[in-house]
This record gives sequence, structure tokens and C-alpha cells, in this order.
Amino acid sequence: MPQPWSRIVAHADMDAFYAAVEQLDNPDLRGRPILVGGHSDRGVVLTASYEARPFGVGSAMPMARARKLCPQGVVVPPRFARYEEVSALIMGVFEDFSPHVEALSLDEAFLEMSGAGHIFGTPTDMGRRLKAAVFEATGGLTVSVGLSATKYVAKVASAHAKPDGLTVVAPEQARDWLAPLAVARLWGAGPKTQRRLAALGLHTIGDLVRAGREFLEANLGSTGTHFHELAHARDPRPVARRHSAKSIGSDRTLAHDVSAREAIRVHLRRSADAIARRLRHKGYLARGVRVKLKTSDFQLLTRQCRLPEATDVADALYTTGIRLLDEFAHPGPFRLVGMAAYDLNRDTDLQQLDLFDVHQRHRQRRLEATLDDISERFGPGVVLRANALADASRVAAAPTLDFLDEDACEE
Amino acid sequence: MKLRIKREDLLVPLQRVIGAVEKRQTLPALANVLVVARTDNSVAITATDLELELLAENEATVEAAGEITLPARKLLDICRTLAEGAEISLDCSEGRATVRATRSRFSLATLPAAEFPALDDIQGGVTFKITSAALKHALEKTAFSMAQQDVRYYLNGLLFEVHGDVARLVATDGHRLAMHEIRENLAVDEVMQVIVPRKGVHELQRLLDDNDSEVDIQLTANHVRVLLPGLRFTSKLIDGRFPDYQRVMPQGGDKYMLADREGLRQALQRASILSNEKYKGIRMVMGGEELKIQTHNPDQEEAEEEFEVEYRGDPLEIGFNVTYLLDILATIEGERVQLTFKDTNSSCLVEDARDEALGQYVVMPMRL
Repeated sequence: MPQPWSRIVAHADMDAFYAAVEQLDNPDLRGRPILVGGHSDRGVVLTASYEARPFGVGSAMPMARARKLCPQGVVVPPRFARYEEVSALIMGVFEDFSPHVEALSLDEAFLEMSGAGHIFGTPTDMGRRLKAAVFEATGGLTVSVGLSATKYVAKVASAHAKPDGLTVVAPEQARDWLAPLAVARLWGAGPKTQRRLAALGLHTIGDLVRAGREFLEANLGSTGTHFHELAHARDPRPVARRHSAKSIGSDRTLAHDVSAREAIRVHLRRSADAIARRLRHKGYLARGVRVKLKTSDFQLLTRQCRLPEATDVADALYTTGIRLLDEFAHPGPFRLVGMAAYDLNRDTDLQQLDLFDVHQRHRQRRLEATLDDISERFGPGVVLRANALADASRVAAAPTLDFLDEDACEE
Repeated sequence: MKLRIKREDLLVPLQRVIGAVEKRQTLPALANVLVVARTDNSVAITATDLELELLAENEATVEAAGEITLPARKLLDICRTLAEGAEISLDCSEGRATVRATRSRFSLATLPAAEFPALDDIQGGVTFKITSAALKHALEKTAFSMAQQDVRYYLNGLLFEVHGDVARLVATDGHRLAMHEIRENLAVDEVMQVIVPRKGVHELQRLLDDNDSEVDIQLTANHVRVLLPGLRFTSKLIDGRFPDYQRVMPQGGDKYMLADREGLRQALQRASILSNEKYKGIRMVMGGEELKIQTHNPDQEEAEEEFEVEYRGDPLEIGFNVTYLLDILATIEGERVQLTFKDTNSSCLVEDARDEALGQYVVMPMRL
């Protein structure tokens, strides 16, 4: 007789999300290896369909390499607006299951399911129902679901049997279930930490349990304590009801390297427009702007600063981006130009008033919101900035990587 | 170059200038200090980050005059860890410097003095004297309101305004503003307004003595220079227009609250525990002889503090970022504070209730 669970947490993660959406929308792509990402050889793979994965292709791999590994792969440019649309459907499904949904990205979320047993049945039933509901709402997308009593184990479990997986780990079995898994599955163990653990003779999560807390703390400090807790399947973190991403960005890997300030500005202008549109679309205001430049020898340089007032106006983002540009000492050339808005909040949140309020900004916002409407009704590109007309000829179409991510401050 | 110097005589100037040495430099020479040994038996040590330059002097027994640059952190660490009272000899020849003390010997890499970027020569402007302690205090009472990495770059510093016998220091990050005056015999005929960058402000605050000695100040179009005993502080200025602070000083407030400063500070501190972590919003409800402080957070937790005050005016509800109020209450020294309000969307003026107080603080409310 299994014991009742102290807590039930589900982690749901869509399978090869961008690729699956493309296959869903275009039957010709079904069953074929597809690579979502920029066409140019300089882009990266955002998602590879499961058909492409046996060839050794994975996310974030340079597109050129992916095409060499998988020459029959079909390269599909990303359509973020569509992914967001599908994401909204999925999140809607999640919210039918729980009032506490913590979205981690467009296609991944934690659900607090404690106390929902009388509605949805056993944890296994909950998982089955969740998968079926997502499949039905999206018209055929699969999700992998993990259920356990902690966020950590639920997340490891959802990745355990991808794609279309369902893994249920009862709380009393969680520690033994984790034991044979590699230390790479520990939350917060990057490649460097993994090497350190290997050097200590720790290869599986079970090794950490056997090593004991004192050994881990002596060798890894507070990280050791953290790993010790995880290895024992202990993770008290609640499912935060939260949809806020920490940053919204738009990166452009360029077809030709740029050095000239004017050329970089063109890309920043486009990024600022794209980011502001997405901020408004999602109802976010940003308090910080970050500019990213990647040199031709792959050195990533970033500069960031805070805004006096939270904004979703492209002009404010752009002006700040231009100022940040002056702070880069590197002369270029650059192969990637990116911008991100961070420190995001809902625009209905509390608002700190400013001593030197600029009314100009509110007018600019109205103008940009009107342009949003026009693009929505008549399609993007109907209205362009006058200077963009001239720029269009100079700037080769660049594959862009727009992200809405959890934590883009890794640099 | 060759000199002998007591450990303490080298350590103190090094500690005074080290703040100008950036951890990440754009030029190799900026990781070094310039050491100049002079025939008058003195040594000058200079550090710079191209914006701020600090030069400290001390006595030394100079056997051969000369100049060289040495790794700043390493030299400081060597001096710090040598035994108290040790005599240090510093000898430079052919691109290497040797530091000797009793039974220790260090051979350091050097860079030629010519590679060390000296600030442009500073001429003209106005000069005046000011009491060291007065300036130190005025900086302490305003610097906390400076902006940090704000896109309005002119706010990432402190406005120093001098006219007649009044020096006025103003700092604001757009959400709150601090102003403090120094009134003494300065005799500056023209109105001088300069913006001193953040780093210079913090270093100056650290370097100034808390006593009645006077320091010489020179303000030019591009630089501020302060001469302290044994030290020359020079900072570039922020090239920008500071906003018209007079315009944002609250006008027309007709609601007054007088409160015990420490009691109010503690009540706010307690209430802030359950405020939204990010915004630190609190609501103040005033009317009669009572102030209610209310907070709540996204986890639906709530706090309410009641605090006895003297209040004059119509009832008012107003929201603030509590950290701004706490900063000010920690800075004011008097026992009682006066807060003047106009309405829910207008700034609030906070002052020491004593008449002779020279500081004024402005906080913009938060829409809750």
C-alpha cells in the first residue's frame, strides 16, 4: 500500500518544442529531421526534431556543423510569434490543472498539484491527464511530464523518458531513484563542477549520498550542502506563481561581420523595436538594458545599465543601447549584435514616480502602440522607419535569435 | 632610483591612493603606482584610473632621485605584511625594482614612468578653503542618494555648487534627492556648478579628516582638485547638465508630520519586513495624532504599525519605497524629523526638525 504523498509537484516540458510546432503546422515536415534556426551557416540550431537527433545534432550547435552531421535535415527559420501563441495554449492547459503554475520558459513549467488528488486521481493519473490535455489543446503536441514531491526530482523525472514520457517518482523512492543517475543531473552542476566532482571520485548522485555531508561541505563549501540536500531528494522550494521572464532579448548573428558604429546601430534599432513590441505584447516593463557584442574570435562582450523609469518603448531602449555602445572599447569586427531588456515587471505593478518625469516618453509609447496595431492588422513591414528603408539594402537578412529566458545574466 | 623609508611611511600613502587603482584596467600601467623619489628627501606616490588621480607624499631618505611605476596591489601587500617599524629599501635599476626589509627581498616588475598617464595640467577656475569635517559630513549626508549606472549619466555623481559663502551638495537618482549646505567663509564670487563622479565622491569621503583643518579646493571647467595634508585629490568632472534641483524641491505642501526620528525609523524597519522585496512599497496613512504604516507582499502577508506623531492637515494616504525613507532617517542626526506632504502624487520633504539643520531630503511617492 503506497503512502500518500506529502506534496505533489509536476514538471512539464514540451518535446522539441519549436520543431514540433513546425511539424504540426506543416505536414510535409512530419517524420523528417528538421533543424529550427537561421539558414545562414553562421546561425545556431535552436531546436532539432527527434528525427534529427540520432545524427548527433543538438540545440545551440552551429548550423554549419549540424548540416554536416545531418545533410538531409530541413532547415526551418524560427517563427517566435507562433511559438508564443502555442505556448499560451499550453500554459492555459496547465492553469486548468493548478492555480500555481511556474513557467520557466515558453514550453516548460512547474505545477503545484498538492491536494488535487480528489479531482485528478493518483499522481500517475494526473500525469496522463495533463499529457492528454496538452495533446488535445495543441492538436497533437507531446509533453514529457515528471511527478514527485519536490521540484528538483520532478524536473529530473520529466527529462528521464523523453519524448512523450511520464515518470512518477514516489517520495519514499526518490533517493534510490536518483542514486544511479550521473552527477550532471544535479541542479547547478555545470561542466566545471562535474569535473570537480569526478576528481573527488563522485560520478553518480548515489556517490554523493555515500560521501556524506561533511565530506561534501569540506570539499565544495555551500555548494556541497546544496548537493547533499538534492541527492537526498530534499528541495523545499515552493512552486512560485510566476510568469515573469527575467529578460527579453533579440540577438543577431550577422551574415557579415560589422565594425562601423552605424552598422551596429541598425541592428540595435531593429532589436529595440522587436523587444519593445514583445514587452508590450506580454505586458512587461523593463528597468534595464543590456547590449551584447560577439567579436569575430567569439569573445562575448556585454555592457548594461539601468533605466530611470521602467519602459516598453523602443526609443528608450534604443537610446540607452547607443549610449552603451560607447562603452565598448573593442574596435570589432563583430559577428553578433544583441540587445536585451532585463529586470522585467508587469506594467500593472507598483510604480515609483520620478522627480524629473519625461512626458515625451508617453507620447512615444502611444505612437509605438499604434504601429503595433497596424502591423497586427496588415502584417509586419507595412510601416517602416524612414531610415530603415535606406538600411534595408545595406543589411543582409540576419537570422535572429529572440529569447525570453530565465536568466540571461550569465556573463 | 634608490630610497629608504619606514614601513608605515610607505604603507599609509599607498593605502590612501589604492582606491584609484581599478581591478580591471584598460592600460597595464593603471595597475601600477607611480613612485617618484625627489632630492628633497620626499617620495610621491600616484595612482589613477584616468578619471580619478590620487597623489600622496611622504618623507623618505632618497639616495638617488628617480621615478618608476610598480605593481600597486603587490607593493601594498608587501608593505602591509612586513613587520611593524621595519625599514624598507627600494632600489630600481634596469627595469626591475628590489624591495628589501630585514630578511625579506622582493624583486618586482616595473613599467617606465613615461607610460604612466598623468592627468592634464589643471589651471584656472576658482579656489577656496573649506573645513575638512564640514565637507566630509556634507558628503556623508548626500552621497547615498547618487544614482548608480543610470542612463542619465549626470546623476551618477554629486552636484557641488558654490556661490558666495555657501557650498551646496546635491545628489539624486530621480526617485529621491538629498541636499546639504555648508556655510562658512568661502568668498567665491561666481556661481560654480560641477558634477563629481561617484567614485571620486566615495574616495574623497574616505580621505577627508574629521577635524577642523582646512582643505584647499580648486574647481575648473573639467576638474576638481582637493589638497589635503600630504595628499592631492584630482577628479575629472561629469560633463553634463545636472537637473534643476530647485524646480523639484516640494512647493505648496500643507500637511505636516512631526515625529520622533528613531521611533519612526524602527517602525518603518519592522513594517518593511513584509513589504514587496523588489519595490519595498509601504503605505502611510495619516490623520489625527496617528500614523499607520501598512505593508503587504505577494505572499499575502501583511504588517501594520501604529505610531504616534504630531500631524497637521487633511488626512492623507501615500505610498513610498521604504528604503528611501530609512536612508534619510539614518542620515539625519536630530531627535525629531518633520515631513511635509502635498498629495498622494507629489514629493515629500523630509527635514531635521531643528531650525539650524542644513539638510533637505525629497522623496517621490510610489503609486500603490
